[in-house]
Amino acid sequence: MVKIQFYSLIRLLLKQDKLELPPCENEQVGQLLQRAQQKIATPFLHKLLDDQGDLLLGTIIMVNRRNILHLQKLQTPVHDGDVVAFFPPGAGG
Amino acid sequence: MNGWHGKILRVNLTAGTCEVEALNENWAKEYIGGRGLGTKYFVEEVAADIDPLSTDNKLIMATGPLTGTYGAANSRYMVITKSPLSGTIACSNAGGYFPSELRYTGFDMIIFEGKSEHPVYLQVYNDNVQLVAATHLWGKTTTEVEDAILAEFHGDAKIACIGKAGEDLSLTASIINDKHRAAGRSGVGAVMGSKNLKAVAVRGTGGVKVADPKAYREAALEAYGMLKENPVSGQGLPALGTPVLVNVINQFGALPTRNFQDDTFEGAEAISGETLADKYLKRNKACMGCVIGCGRVTGLKGSRFEGDGEGPEYESIWALGAACGVDDLAAITKANYICNDYGIDTITTGATIACAMELAEKGFIDAAEIGMPLKFGDADAMVKLTEMAAKKEGFGEKLSLGSARLAEMYGAPELSMTVKKLEFPAYDGRGMQGMALHYATSNRGACHVRGYLVSPEILGLPEKIDPQATEGKPVWAKIFQDFTAVVDSSGVCLFSTFALGVPQFAAFCSAATGEDFNEETLMEIGERIYNMERMFNLRAGIDPDQDTLPKRLLEEPIHDGPLKGEVAKLSIMLPEYYQERGWGNDGIPSAEKLASLGLA
Repeated sequence: MVKIQFYSLIRLLLKQDKLELPPCENEQVGQLLQRAQQKIATPFLHKLLDDQGDLLLGTIIMVNRRNILHLQKLQTPVHDGDVVAFFPPGAGG
Repeated sequence: MNGWHGKILRVNLTAGTCEVEALNENWAKEYIGGRGLGTKYFVEEVAADIDPLSTDNKLIMATGPLTGTYGAANSRYMVITKSPLSGTIACSNAGGYFPSELRYTGFDMIIFEGKSEHPVYLQVYNDNVQLVAATHLWGKTTTEVEDAILAEFHGDAKIACIGKAGEDLSLTASIINDKHRAAGRSGVGAVMGSKNLKAVAVRGTGGVKVADPKAYREAALEAYGMLKENPVSGQGLPALGTPVLVNVINQFGALPTRNFQDDTFEGAEAISGETLADKYLKRNKACMGCVIGCGRVTGLKGSRFEGDGEGPEYESIWALGAACGVDDLAAITKANYICNDYGIDTITTGATIACAMELAEKGFIDAAEIGMPLKFGDADAMVKLTEMAAKKEGFGEKLSLGSARLAEMYGAPELSMTVKKLEFPAYDGRGMQGMALHYATSNRGACHVRGYLVSPEILGLPEKIDPQATEGKPVWAKIFQDFTAVVDSSGVCLFSTFALGVPQFAAFCSAATGEDFNEETLMEIGERIYNMERMFNLRAGIDPDQDTLPKRLLEEPIHDGPLKGEVAKLSIMLPEYYQERGWGNDGIPSAEKLASLGLA
């Protein structure tokens, strides 16, 4: 299974903190996002992606705790057992 | 003058006098206000080698030309003095309503000098200024002080004061305004206490006159739109406040845990912003006129503790939580309330307790001396020690000295996680090389808000850079440090920079003051301020060999999580940083650099 974790505004919006999906062969993060959205009735992708489907400035998506911006971005492969965390833009200090 | 009022208030506590002076216009143009202008006055009037708790030290409360104006997050003030904790220049700032109200009195800044024979507080009602006895307020908490002054002076006054910790000269003492906002770092509250100055109460009914109202309105509308549209300042911060970072930084693997021995905290979810919102958040609260509104009003109903207040913020959650191995959010929130009521810095307090926990676990201190068994993860002990530190009771007296002196006292200085005796905040520099460099070179020690490279390295703002790369980080560090000096001098909150950049600040400052501030001149001013602070520190004996990090960060690799194996690569970056700044290889600003900035 691929384990998805929701954080911040998405968790407040969806009122759930996780989702598990069966793995798909050759799946990438961008496709996983779409599959997660299909599974959940409440729209949430707009919290992570812009109108063109690119990552919003400040969105953090981690695969096994590594930011996909330093991997292959939305084309980063997802495998069975991976943990994928979705953080909409946020900050503090 | 426009933008600036052109007036400062000088309060001589020894003589009991309050005098109005004209603001030095040339300095205002060269240093803007707030941090820059306040520090300029300070370094001109105070010798660097003085004892910070002696009558020779001064304490300046300074606003910027944008403080109290509208459009962004424009309600900040700065406290400038020499730090009793670190011995460096101290510039600690806070938001809330006090900064704007101070500005509406018609004064740009207040300079406190000397020492009163008896406890006093300052009342400012526009031009009417007087020192009044504060003996009846001595020993009271910051909440009690504020309520008492509201009743006896003016119900609409705004108040900054010290708690018992400041009176007791605790080196961790802060200045609290509006009950819950803290000029927290560097021990500035102890300097106020050393002067027998309990509080400053201001009531102003004037406004701020800007030079070009039309241009100002355009700048404000642009800034307002950018802040609202930006997903961080428009959505993330208002919804969850700063604690949203707990899970982000923990997932990334750089949440310092158990005094920086670990970097992933197994209890992060329990102390996260999401959990705070679910369990203890009552409502949001904004500072005066702020577009963002990141404050959290909280209460502990339903928990095993009692109390209401504001916070904790991300850094406080970390210091009183992960740093101590504590995953009890109610206990953390309670300790945060205690820190605000007694007036001590949450970061230094939590980090010092974490240091004590490691000292205890490794046998440097025994339970009898502490008054209790002490180990990481003990929430009740953390709350008890916070209270003891706040009151300087028992072992708390040693905690009130900060972790550098505590660890030194017990023969283990390497267990203090500090730079220049100031405790780190909630980001491990081993996981973000730019932050490591900034920590080592920040003018007030291990501080995150003098060059918040977390923003590009982790959050991807204004662009994402590789946190583990060293290449280019000296340039990033210099830009962030200089720009932050500009922001701190303008009177605007640093959080506005998640959406606004130098062009927006140039438009704001120019429209407000009528001076021609552009991107180039503002960044030069930022560099001037940074070098001025550096020169004060050098004169104070803070040598460049203190531009370093604890051995743990330099030599002990992170042992867990995705950053396993990483150390801070400071030696690679520091020489290039000095070069980028136009300093010698020895870390001392060159004569040419100082001359070019008008500091020779």
